[in-house]
Amino acid sequence: MNLRQVSLRQFLREPLAHFVLIGLALFLLHGWVAPADEAGRRIVVNQARVDDMAREYRAQLGRSPAPEELKSLVDTYVHDEILYREGMAQGLGRDDPVIRRRILQKYEIILEEESGQGAPSDADLSAYLKAHPAEFERPATVTFDQVFFDASGSPAEGEQRFEAARRAALRGADPAGLGQDSMLPRHVETTPLDRVAQDFGPAFAAGLAEAPVGRWIGPLPSSYGAHLVRVAARTPPSLPPLDEVRAAVAREWEGDRRRRALAATYDKLRGDYDVAVKARLSQQLAAR
Amino acid sequence: MSRKLMIVLAAGAGLLAVTGCSKSTDKTSAPQAPVAATPASGAYLPDANRKYPERVLWGDEHVHTGWSVDAGVAGTTLNPEDAVRFVRGDTVKSSTGVQTKLHRPLDWVAVTDHSDAMGTISELKAGNPAFLANPTTKRWYEMMSQGPEKATAATLELVRAQATRTMPPVLMDEKWVKAAWQKTVDIMEKYNEPGKFTAFIAYEWTSNALTGENLHRNVIFRDNADKTRSLSPLTTWVSGDPATLWAWLANYEATTGGHALAIPHNGNLSNGRMFEEQQYDGKPLTPEWAASRARWEPLFELFQYKGQSEANPRLSPTDEFANYEVWDTGNLAGKPKTPGMINGEYAREALKSGMRLQGALGTNPFKIGAAAGTDTHTGLAAAEEDNFGGKLPSSEPHAGRWNQLFQKEAAYVRKDWTLSSAGYTGVWATANTREAIWDAMKRRETYASSGPRMTVRFFGGYGFSQADAKAGSLVATGYAKGVPMGGDLKAAAPGQVPTFLFAAMKDSIGANLDRVQMIKGWVDAAGKTHETILNVGWSEPTKRKLVGGKLPPVGNTVDLKTAKYANSIGAPELVGWFKDPSFDPKQRAFYYLRVLEIPTPRWTLYDAIKYGDKMTPDVPMVQQERAITSAIWYNPA
Repeated sequence: MNLRQVSLRQFLREPLAHFVLIGLALFLLHGWVAPADEAGRRIVVNQARVDDMAREYRAQLGRSPAPEELKSLVDTYVHDEILYREGMAQGLGRDDPVIRRRILQKYEIILEEESGQGAPSDADLSAYLKAHPAEFERPATVTFDQVFFDASGSPAEGEQRFEAARRAALRGADPAGLGQDSMLPRHVETTPLDRVAQDFGPAFAAGLAEAPVGRWIGPLPSSYGAHLVRVAARTPPSLPPLDEVRAAVAREWEGDRRRRALAATYDKLRGDYDVAVKARLSQQLAAR
Repeated sequence: MSRKLMIVLAAGAGLLAVTGCSKSTDKTSAPQAPVAATPASGAYLPDANRKYPERVLWGDEHVHTGWSVDAGVAGTTLNPEDAVRFVRGDTVKSSTGVQTKLHRPLDWVAVTDHSDAMGTISELKAGNPAFLANPTTKRWYEMMSQGPEKATAATLELVRAQATRTMPPVLMDEKWVKAAWQKTVDIMEKYNEPGKFTAFIAYEWTSNALTGENLHRNVIFRDNADKTRSLSPLTTWVSGDPATLWAWLANYEATTGGHALAIPHNGNLSNGRMFEEQQYDGKPLTPEWAASRARWEPLFELFQYKGQSEANPRLSPTDEFANYEVWDTGNLAGKPKTPGMINGEYAREALKSGMRLQGALGTNPFKIGAAAGTDTHTGLAAAEEDNFGGKLPSSEPHAGRWNQLFQKEAAYVRKDWTLSSAGYTGVWATANTREAIWDAMKRRETYASSGPRMTVRFFGGYGFSQADAKAGSLVATGYAKGVPMGGDLKAAAPGQVPTFLFAAMKDSIGANLDRVQMIKGWVDAAGKTHETILNVGWSEPTKRKLVGGKLPPVGNTVDLKTAKYANSIGAPELVGWFKDPSFDPKQRAFYYLRVLEIPTPRWTLYDAIKYGDKMTPDVPMVQQERAITSAIWYNPA
């Protein structure tokens, strides 16, 4: 192309010229509309931002901000923005462990979301339930009666009181009339053993788990004293059908997928890095 | 820290991507007293049709995670999901990388991250660099800067994209725009299992007045996601006046038909402002103000990591047990107190002044029941003395933590050994559900524990006798003939005197009980307030006799070399009855119980043994843990 013969008209037909012009226009446009020039010293508080401040204010207080209140919000924003930019310009964000952690948390979130979306199938959930029975098991339950004896008096007296009650119970006496009153229930109906452990103490619950069914036995010690005990029924731990625990299984399944996805991505990224640890780790541990 | 930076931090504050399966059944009903609770759905065992609460439900109403901006800055990496899992009894990795677990799970929790860090809604419009990396969000950002028309178009695009699940991954619906709150709600919905475990939807409104006067409130919702997910938690940047929170709560209830309450805490760090007898702006109290406060704040937090706010030895000089986990050297920022400030900080004093104010205002503004929480900022609600989780990652378990600086106050160098490993709230609810526990909180049928899970019953009425004080039947009698803790006694008929039943049973894996005390406060005809403490039940009564109203100490079995104690002293159960010996039917009065354990090791002793730490003599090694019940109020005609 002979530049001297190129008319303005022709010039404007050239793709390269279009590119340059559009670029120029965008540059100028950017200067006019960009609300916040992060690198520079220009802060534009545009209508969108002010509207947003007003909206937040309304959401908080149920009324619109007065002009002076809105001005105060804008002043605060400008104040914070200036200090923020100055701080960023001085590189305060670079070595800040908090900011480092935030950025890596954000990145983790992005990685997690990119890994696997979509709901699990029934087959996924069934498989998860089978593979992790302990997390979803219905605990063993027990139904029992207990007669309480506190630790007052001498051990010999205590033994006597207990023996007398045991013989009475074996003769068929009403257990409600035996032993001592306490805040502990005399009859406990179909209650998980771990609950019994919380109420009576772990040793007592362990004793109940092994006691014969239908017979008065004891003394079985609890956290409070000694007990004459008769187990009426026990149910073993059982794995519920999926339908009864679907929400919990789905929750755990999702958590598991998230952790796996993150670990897999990290393993992949880690492979791309050459990491050299040049330090005596044992010494560092000792110092800590 | 600038708000901008706080927002940036909050935006990134470990917003673990959790796709919410927030299916919330609408069980709207007004809060109610317990009558035959309906069986909770999802219970793994059917709840009996209970006429009254049979089992106390333990929980923490005050838990912060890394999503609280201060906790995040301090290095807490755990999120609300971790916090809930820990409370349920799961093993969780702490911020310092240690696998940790509670000895016993709790029944419920309220994760209360600070609202002030949750406002991330303007991130997109602020041109957060994370958004500009994505072409779609970059385009929206640019559109939003080009006037209202374009901005609306962008919003529509965004809404459409959200509806059709075609949002750019970086924006992924709630993550930046709807932010931490909705994530929190979704997590609570996932873990809330009616009948089994309750995860409240909650946040903390964190007003520090202007200079660190602690006026914080935990806001706890009775409701599910359907009412709470779209709201925007109240922050304090507009005002630190608690009345703005009450207005916000009123608006919440009016617009959603839901229910919420607020639990103030750390009066001890408020430099006199928690229970000050004027409005926030200095104006005199009004009947409306008193009614609002009473309506929204039925409970007050008595125990937590930063000291207790029940009673102070300077206010109650004759109380032998008031000098317990006291933090009274300044406000939250360490600004020292001036004389008189302490009058407006503690629950016992407020219970008294509230009744005095009731005369002038028509409503008792400080009719507060008992609550306790940890205020953990690690995500770990670990208030077990031998498993104390610490306040911040820096005070998580390790050798030497006792001697670290917590804060250099103007008049005191506060070290981490002053942290109190406390507390939990016991709730007498008819079922383990949001609705039932919240209703029990609202009617104050609660008690605060410094940590141990003792069972405590307390009933007041006019017809109780010594014969009713039977462990096996006391509860049925109490509900049939009186009111439980948190309730009110009507004016006495001529000749009537208030009578009370109590029963306390030790923690099933804990220490025996030393004694049960009744604490009474009243207002005399001249408007002066008084308090008295009566020992009403104690162990070894044949050996320990009252002398001038005082009991000999129960003894101490703690071995300072092993951190072991023995239940060879104290009693596993204390049951009894009492009648107010100095009742005046014309005087307003309250009655509450303090149940004391025998001496046991403080967390510092467990640390000293475990880590071989040699601590200075000012560090307490032994303590008497305790439960404080909500009061029963007497209201003259």
